[in-house]
Amino acid sequence: MWTRGVRINHPSIAASVLEENAAAVMAPPFTPYTFIQCPCSDSSTFNRRSPPSTPTTHHHHSDNDDNDDDDDDEHPFDPRAPRSNYSLYPLEYLLYCEDCHQIRCPRCVAEEIVTYYCPSCLFEVPSSNLKSEGNRCTRSCFQCPVCIGPLSVTSLESHPDPNTLPVPDNPSAAPHGGPYILICSHCAWSSTEVGIQFDKPNSIHAQLAKLRNGGNPRMTAKERKERRKDLAQSLGSSYSSSSASGYTGYFADELDLDLDLETQFSNLKLFYQSQLANANTGGVGSGSSASGSGAGGAFGDLGFTSPTSLSRILNIYTSASSQDKKAKSRIGTMREALDSDEGLKIANLDESEAIAKLHAEGHPGTVSTSQLLNQTPQLHLGEPHLHGRSRFASELRPIPYLLRTKRSKRCPICRHIISKPEAKVLTTRFRIRLVAGSYIPSITIRPLSLPNASTPDPSALRPSKPAQFVLTFKNPIFEPVKITLATPALTPGRFPSKVTVLCPQFDIDANTDVWDEVLKDGDKRRKKGESMDSASGAGGVGGGQHQHQPAAGKIWERGRNWVSIVVEVVPASLRKPSQDEMPVLKEDEDLLEIPMFVRIEWETDAMGDEVGAVSGKDRDLPKLKRELAYWCVLGLGRVSDQG
Amino acid sequence: MAAPSSSKRHSILPPAQAGPKPPVQFSSSITIADSAILIGTHPITISTESVIHPRAQLNSLGGRITIGRRCIVHERSTVGAVGTEGGRGAGGTAEQSGVTLGDYVTVEVGASIETGDTVVGEGTNIGVGSKIGGGAVVGKHCTLTPYTVVAAGDVIPDYTVIYSNGLRRQDRRGVAELRNKGQARQIEVLKRMIPSSPAKFQ
Repeated sequence: MWTRGVRINHPSIAASVLEENAAAVMAPPFTPYTFIQCPCSDSSTFNRRSPPSTPTTHHHHSDNDDNDDDDDDEHPFDPRAPRSNYSLYPLEYLLYCEDCHQIRCPRCVAEEIVTYYCPSCLFEVPSSNLKSEGNRCTRSCFQCPVCIGPLSVTSLESHPDPNTLPVPDNPSAAPHGGPYILICSHCAWSSTEVGIQFDKPNSIHAQLAKLRNGGNPRMTAKERKERRKDLAQSLGSSYSSSSASGYTGYFADELDLDLDLETQFSNLKLFYQSQLANANTGGVGSGSSASGSGAGGAFGDLGFTSPTSLSRILNIYTSASSQDKKAKSRIGTMREALDSDEGLKIANLDESEAIAKLHAEGHPGTVSTSQLLNQTPQLHLGEPHLHGRSRFASELRPIPYLLRTKRSKRCPICRHIISKPEAKVLTTRFRIRLVAGSYIPSITIRPLSLPNASTPDPSALRPSKPAQFVLTFKNPIFEPVKITLATPALTPGRFPSKVTVLCPQFDIDANTDVWDEVLKDGDKRRKKGESMDSASGAGGVGGGQHQHQPAAGKIWERGRNWVSIVVEVVPASLRKPSQDEMPVLKEDEDLLEIPMFVRIEWETDAMGDEVGAVSGKDRDLPKLKRELAYWCVLGLGRVSDQG
Repeated sequence: MAAPSSSKRHSILPPAQAGPKPPVQFSSSITIADSAILIGTHPITISTESVIHPRAQLNSLGGRITIGRRCIVHERSTVGAVGTEGGRGAGGTAEQSGVTLGDYVTVEVGASIETGDTVVGEGTNIGVGSKIGGGAVVGKHCTLTPYTVVAAGDVIPDYTVIYSNGLRRQDRRGVAELRNKGQARQIEVLKRMIPSSPAKFQ
């Protein structure tokens, strides 16, 4: 279950997934990680507690004033719960709403699209065009249908070679003239493989839309209409002049025509529309028109007085007796299409050609699922008919690039924008970007290796052997913060490990300017640093760090805006005491993860816009107390099964 | 301490020519850089107008190396690498062919062709960092995209493109002639840019 959801995105999780696949033969080193739970995952918290959870001004904090916190205490966060997959994020993924003073994750923010653009040509596409032209680049940007590499437009004619000859016969006026093709420089696919060439090197998309595979022009709707008109006219003349045999002969030819899917659809649509219209008028009008609709819906709009319709009616009674029967039996019902002009396409069940091709090309000649999925559905319209369509790689068409978007993100509660990129495609800057990393402290984990400790591999967690880890909290804000940590004494799950945070409460200094620090109280720092250096230096020499032992209630190390503390864990034995055999481990049950509740308190100046800029100078300005609390998960390592 | 002490950077590589000096047979029109590395015991033949870039390595320890006309062997590529597995490895007889490159072959940067009667056909482009196992026969006008691995003893038909982790397809562009022309023009340029010193190896 750990491999599901968003956490797969994180490299360390991906690594742990890999680890699973590698089946412990060669497990990659485990990287400790910290994931933070977004408050949005708890729906009750989100709805009910949103006002109190925002740190109120003048919030005289004490542990008992907030009843809602008890809920959390009653249900400590379980990182193994299936829901947790969707609420835990690395710090880098999280945003922070400055107005709600709360963490926001990619799942809970509301997104708005700022710009659509083509990733290939970086042209911005107006959103009005999207409705008409779809979500793909309509310029000349295409991806290779075989390997999805970018396609480039190349002149099919050989480039004039300066070495060879001064081109006497070639018209040198157009050195790059001639037909153009799309070429993939990676896998050497070219549009000649599907028989497509272009007349112009630009607006390939529009040209491609008019071409079917093999280079046959695809009829546009207008052309189709005109063709139909021509057909009707020629039919009309043939009715008036020729006999019934000529009429049937004409349609026999028509059926042989290669009817592409698009034309067939439009023909069928037109046919059924006229059928419906005829059925309606037939219901209201005379019975004769209803019977007339049974025979030739395509010509239903012609008046009965015209000689063509007369001849047609005669034709019904004279030519095919079966048709005659049908017409009589289906009075008032609609008949089906009878010829290609009405959208009839006789299935070509002879697949020997495709089978022979499959024999010749084998499996590599067929398309893969991903290649087929990449094909744009619009392009299939110009394709051959559904039946008899083979899935060969030689029929793949170039894929126009899918457009991408730049999005701004809003806080779901207060609707303030918390991330907004520049609208221009080419700039990578953000107008607003409130990332959580600049508001809440980062937590890094490393195993504590004491010089006198004789653990061979500090990262390996052995059952029932205490292991110590150094957690380093780095304060990104310009105020000193007070941090309170809480962990359950035993981690949740079947194999509870003991957890002790040696120093659950500490202060971190403000993230001041590095140079300010040096200039202001450099002396103090230097002294401190010297003492620390000497201690660590002695430790480096060997064994001198004995006096620097992790102790309860003491900070391990401290710096300008960071504090390290020590966490001690006693990993659980993966064997049950009752049974000697290893129980069957579920996925990631050997992973030691500690849920930790982090509470940050800090004081901040009243906001300038709230109090007024004049009073900003005042020293006795009431400081606002803020707090932020959230669950996070520390992934420390895997417990080895030899125990 | 990060300040550059000297404007000149020195290679940490040991001076070239670590092995025995092989007998060579050069056409008069080839371009071979001074710092190309030719080692081995079997003869190395390089035909007309071929270009050997600096620090390209031709290793004839495992067999004779024959390079056709208008070939380009790029930097840090190895022709005749002694194979790790498969192939026939080093120590063949005098007649044994190590690697044969046809005409118009390009061996790009960092590619490696193992020895052991390996044949690369005319007009084939061996992409950056590719590896061809010993005894493999690559057909004519093939394209091996970067980091392709051809197993030892594999036979690749003419006009094959190997891309994205070993997928294969046929090149139907029919640009073999054009590619050869392009190769000729590239060699024209390279000739001017790479100072040739065939005498060093003869």
